[in-house]
Amino acid sequence: MSALPLTRQRAVETVARYGIVLVLVIMVAALTVLSPIIRGEQFFLTSRNLIQVALQAAINAIIATGMTFVITSGGIDLSVGANVALGGVTAALFMRDTGIGPIGGFFVAMAVGGLCGAFNGLLITRLDLPPFIATLGTMGMFRGMALIISDGRPVYGFGREFLQIFARQIDLPLIGAVPTQVVFALVIAVVFWWVLNRTKFGKYTIAIGGSEETTRLAGIPVNRYKMGIYILCGLLTGVAAALLLARLSSGDPTFGTFYELDAIAAAVMGGTSLSGGEGSIGGTIVGALVISLVRNGLNLFNVPSYWQDFVIGAVIVLAVMLDRWRKRQTRRV
Amino acid sequence: MADSGDLTSLLLRVEAITKNFGAVQALKGITFDVERGEVVALVGDNGAGKSTLVKIISGVYQPTSGKIILNGREVHFPNPAAAHAAGVETVYQHLALIEELDVADNVYLGRETTKYGVIGRMMGVLDRRQMRRATAAALESLHIKIPAPTMPVRMMSGGQRQAVAIGRAMTWGRQLLILDEPTAALGVEETEQVLAMIERLRDEAGMTFLVISHNMQDVYRIADKIVVLRQGRHAATLRKQETTMEEIVAYITGAK
Repeated sequence: MSALPLTRQRAVETVARYGIVLVLVIMVAALTVLSPIIRGEQFFLTSRNLIQVALQAAINAIIATGMTFVITSGGIDLSVGANVALGGVTAALFMRDTGIGPIGGFFVAMAVGGLCGAFNGLLITRLDLPPFIATLGTMGMFRGMALIISDGRPVYGFGREFLQIFARQIDLPLIGAVPTQVVFALVIAVVFWWVLNRTKFGKYTIAIGGSEETTRLAGIPVNRYKMGIYILCGLLTGVAAALLLARLSSGDPTFGTFYELDAIAAAVMGGTSLSGGEGSIGGTIVGALVISLVRNGLNLFNVPSYWQDFVIGAVIVLAVMLDRWRKRQTRRV
Repeated sequence: MADSGDLTSLLLRVEAITKNFGAVQALKGITFDVERGEVVALVGDNGAGKSTLVKIISGVYQPTSGKIILNGREVHFPNPAAAHAAGVETVYQHLALIEELDVADNVYLGRETTKYGVIGRMMGVLDRRQMRRATAAALESLHIKIPAPTMPVRMMSGGQRQAVAIGRAMTWGRQLLILDEPTAALGVEETEQVLAMIERLRDEAGMTFLVISHNMQDVYRIADKIVVLRQGRHAATLRKQETTMEEIVAYITGAK
């Protein structure tokens, strides 16, 4: 394979790295211009709509942050959507039927998420199952459990207090009213950007994705770290489940369908490599915003919602193609 | 660097090592010595048991029976980390470095220094500045030239990678360096650089090497002693001064 000169390699890396930011800018500009032309009025660039975009992105961004760790380590977690449903339903039932209260409910969702992640991790490390197969199986198991414990019906009546805490807006200086869920997502993104780029846990996540065997030969307890990565993804999914429960004010066992698709799309669009070893939390957040904009744009222009999943799926395929191309351009030997 | 605390020159003794994988006997009693400051080549045809033996010495596999004696004391390496702790480092042919990490991150893989005291250590906060500085200094002292400690390994040539991998092993391996096919993936010029580096590290730093190689020219050039394995058995131990390339090949193929 021909190696490009280093300057050209760096250029390709830079485009691959920040290309998604360019996509975001172009989409915002295009929707701002097109919205008044097509709908006769500015529907896009209104604070109400932008808050909606940010809210949609927030929940996906939180899951996708965990997914970024999993994919960077060379794995995949297809069970996050089902995990959202199970965590939400369980938290709703606990709050409705016991006196654990809203904060307790939040931690129940997180605990369910963490346990689901630990179960995935055990299947992958102890039984040596491929992550794709293990989490495909648990996707069905978790979704099934959500349906079983809720009897297939949405769970209501878990108290308004939960919504008041986790689905309100807070006034920030200079910016104005911001949904707490967006603040949650931003704080999580900053913390886990730091974890991925500045700590041993993050470095080993990258190392395991680069070469699991090399990492093991370096004396690193690979399985322990892989467990940690899947538990982290589960815990963050649990947070997302609690926030979604608050936003939609019901715990529905059918919630979270296709959330794995959005989370994987956000990560790979943001430059996280499906072949492992490379991940970018900043890219994932921008990716989540782009996905939210795609859905928002399609809504604004009255495109039937069936097209949304089609488009997001196509975007994943495109992003993976670009990643392959970049690797061919920059890899030596 | 080479430890001169022990007065005897014997560094490693592999004694009657056997290894069974189920019903297959991969090693049928291997014995040889490695003396301090020498380069020992481990040669043999495919399936002779070289890789298995190296994996036992480096803690990846456990022997079925037999002993490993390092510095006069019997040692047991239940995992690679235990071998590292005893000063035995191995550079694997395809598994030496993580391509996605930079040079310093690779040199310090599994041995990170942290900052912010006890809390930083518990959280594993990397002190990258310190690791980069130390990596640059360590490679410099070994006369290993790389563009920068912050360069991702992915962007480096095969020779540069091998130099970094050996440099990494040198930085941590106080006793013995095991090199698995160090020149197999390299071009002519890069092979020469790596061989010259091994010779220099032996002559100047007194480092001890156990080198697996298929390349008889390389073996004959750098080795002081050649250990030949054949079908899991020890076929011969030859001093370079007392043998010829033809004789080595004859032992490998079983003609002798």
